[in-house]
Amino acid sequence: MGRIGSCLSTRGITRGIAAGVVCTLLAAPALAQKVLQLPIRTDGPKSLDPVEGSTTYDNMACVQMYETLLSNKYSDPYSYEPLLLEELPTTADGGKTWHFKLKEGVKFYSPHGPIFGGKNTRTIVSDDVFYSLKRIADKNNQLKNWWLLSDTIEGFNEYMEEQNAAGTFDYDAPVAGFRKIDDREFEIVLSKPVTKFLWILTMFQTSVVPREAVEAFGEDFAFKPVGTGPFILDEWIPKQRLSVNRNPVYREVFYPERSEWSREDRRRRLHLPAGERVPFVDRIEFTMFVEDNPMWLQFRAGKIGYTEVPDEYYAQAFDKRTHQLKPEMASEGVDAHANKLLDFIFRGFNMDDAVVGGYTEKKKALRQAMSLAMDLDEFNRTFYSGLNVVYDGPIPPQLDGHPEDGRSPAAYQGPNLELARQKMIEAGYPSGEGLAPIKYYANRGGNSPEQTELMQRQLARIGVRLDVQLVDFSTLIEFVNKKKAPIFSFAWSSDYPDAENNLALFYSPNESPGSNHFNYKRADYDAMYEQILTMTPGSERTAIYEQMRDMILEDVPYIGSMARERHYLINPWLLNCKPTERFYSWYKYLDVDDAKRPG
Amino acid sequence: MWAYVIRRIVYFIPVYLGIIFLVMAMLRINDPVYAYLGKNASEMEIQQTRERFGLDRPFIVQYADFVWDVARFDFSQRSWEQKRPVGQMIASAIPPTLFITVPSLILTATISIAIGLICSFNRGRWLDQSLMVLAVLGMSISYLVYIILGQYFGAYVLGQDMGLTPFEIEGYEPVVGLRQAAEGSSSHWWNLGDWVFTPMNWVKYCMLPVIIGVIVAMGYDTRFYRAVMVEESGRDYIVTARAKGATAKKIMFVHMLKNAMIPIITRVMITLPFLITGSILVEQFFGIPGMGRTLITAITSKDFPVVQATVAFFAGIVILTVILTDVLYALVDPRVRLS
Repeated sequence: MGRIGSCLSTRGITRGIAAGVVCTLLAAPALAQKVLQLPIRTDGPKSLDPVEGSTTYDNMACVQMYETLLSNKYSDPYSYEPLLLEELPTTADGGKTWHFKLKEGVKFYSPHGPIFGGKNTRTIVSDDVFYSLKRIADKNNQLKNWWLLSDTIEGFNEYMEEQNAAGTFDYDAPVAGFRKIDDREFEIVLSKPVTKFLWILTMFQTSVVPREAVEAFGEDFAFKPVGTGPFILDEWIPKQRLSVNRNPVYREVFYPERSEWSREDRRRRLHLPAGERVPFVDRIEFTMFVEDNPMWLQFRAGKIGYTEVPDEYYAQAFDKRTHQLKPEMASEGVDAHANKLLDFIFRGFNMDDAVVGGYTEKKKALRQAMSLAMDLDEFNRTFYSGLNVVYDGPIPPQLDGHPEDGRSPAAYQGPNLELARQKMIEAGYPSGEGLAPIKYYANRGGNSPEQTELMQRQLARIGVRLDVQLVDFSTLIEFVNKKKAPIFSFAWSSDYPDAENNLALFYSPNESPGSNHFNYKRADYDAMYEQILTMTPGSERTAIYEQMRDMILEDVPYIGSMARERHYLINPWLLNCKPTERFYSWYKYLDVDDAKRPG
Repeated sequence: MWAYVIRRIVYFIPVYLGIIFLVMAMLRINDPVYAYLGKNASEMEIQQTRERFGLDRPFIVQYADFVWDVARFDFSQRSWEQKRPVGQMIASAIPPTLFITVPSLILTATISIAIGLICSFNRGRWLDQSLMVLAVLGMSISYLVYIILGQYFGAYVLGQDMGLTPFEIEGYEPVVGLRQAAEGSSSHWWNLGDWVFTPMNWVKYCMLPVIIGVIVAMGYDTRFYRAVMVEESGRDYIVTARAKGATAKKIMFVHMLKNAMIPIITRVMITLPFLITGSILVEQFFGIPGMGRTLITAITSKDFPVVQATVAFFAGIVILTVILTDVLYALVDPRVRLS
């Protein structure tokens, strides 16, 4: 009785409640993991070794586990910020020598066992950066990305040639341009000041990897990533799925501050988690979708966070007339986001070709006539639901040097058949008389045959006939590289958001098989290009960009241009999502609200 | 019989070598390195990659090297694209394909033969005509339509509108796997020693493709087996059986079926090699990491080691199937002699 009385006393009740709470807490299951499911709209990455990567999908996967010195900003992808660095690199000599300082305590983590002298982790040091860049020069790593650093760093080209000519590639051999100060600080000396160098350091191929892992795993390193990124690999079944878990030793990284977000982004409440530590989710599960139908259905079933809107599904999501999200989607809480791509889609001329090439007024007149005969808006309406952006010049929208409203007075943008016919007379081919069919090379995939039909019809209006060669991609590149294609269909997607990247396509030292597939050669253009390489962004540089753009428009080494706009739909349970292409390290900022998931 | 089998294998060796020669030669008509390195590659990089892939060597040396690898069953060469050993890629792609194609073949053959028998026995009547209309209808609709409708109604609508999720829209989990790997999963599995069989994974990921595969194939097979059975039903031995008072069931399933075994075996055996290569469409749409998908990806990305090894493997299976067909003919029909 006394014992019961004691239990019923106030103290007893309090103790009982406290004990109950403790027991309840102990018995409660561990906090549920936040898992994010995302699509990869293809068969996924080919390799998880950054140095072997080149595709968007390699990028998407690698940057979850690896990090670069600099990274595009999530709130403003057209600028960059330090990622592995303490602060942005500095230069005291106008951009020739760059000083870098690594963040303190950034650690590699190996989920594949202790490879760092019996441990799973090691702090990154300056030598890791040099080693990672040297890997790009090693022919055993395919040299796919050598173009990023070729002719950039002092002594690096010589190092690359010497080491690849030798029997074994010596990673300990010095490079004149790599100067170590201590484990956290180092300098890179460029062969000449090049503004784009810092953009290159944002690209995933320059990610920092540990030498121990490369040497321990050999060829399997592509399957066993060891990086400093926010996630670590759990499982990768090529062409099927890839899952990553939170990196247990990931340093303190925070969500962008409120002030960094634009008004539009704040309206979409992207600023809400400002200052919170990332990553928010414990695990990301990527599924590869080779076909669009299952990806679309999985999105509609709420099983993946977002989806690109495939062309054939556009009308299911948007009103084709107003381009507004359909009310039924909006009522489900689905959000839409449009992403303008840095595209340069064109039909190029080989300027070395005897018929369509050349720089005399007569030679230019033929190309100008063809450009005037083409109606790119009709292409846009017919093949892209009018969603693409048609513009003048080689500089995509949103970049310095892009003409106002996309139109430049220097352009020979069609359709203007009257002027086109006059130009044909100037070229010496009135109504196409005396002009043999011109070989036109295009990739045979997708709707290329239909696009070619339309191009033939449009050019036939001024008497230009095409001898169409629809070939596979490899053959197309081979013909263009060997300067055997008088006209060819190609596209360029900017590697970084600076028009310099596009203007390089017309720089004569880059002629085929380099990226100047037009084989465009003008000494005055080259001089301007060399000038802009060392200039920092500003009105002076933009003025030169515009001059170069108009020079190209006058010479018409291509017919164009067009850029795509990609549309995304985001399920209501996926938070903080601003789909951004070109860089993919923003997945660490994503969060999920499981309460909003269907079922 | 063994002497016959060995002789046939020896006869097939030049054919086999010829197939490999043709495929390797055709693959090399265009240089794959340009597509592999993309638009930014310099001539030096192209040349170095060519050397690394061994494409700079004379064709006959590349051919001899590959044949020597095949002769030793050495498929350790790595895929250019995925960097994995080709043998490992093929080995991991075969089971998912077989879990779809084998049940499809068994179900299609069984159902089609039964329908063929019923139709032939009821030739010209409403039942025969109705079944044939359905068969023609089934054949006339594209495989792709069945897949898209199957995914929409069989997986999406069933799950969204009715709350039933027997099938996944897309994806694959191993049906048979190592016990160690399965122990962490929530699925129910049956023990097979060190291995486990997970029936629910088969239902979730394979059953819908199997159903679609059966529906598509049944149209063709039913018409074929009906024609075979109709031909058999006019033979003298059927008249004799009827005269002797044999039941319809006995005539159909004992006499007719036994005598129709040669065309049935031929049809089934022709299909066997394709069980390995799988259905490209089904694997692409359902995200099943099978042989069809592996092969088509390798072809489109010009991954020569994978294409060559798959062709060598497939050609070997076709040759073995042809020989096995001859052996089966002799087993089911005493009039056939292997000599």
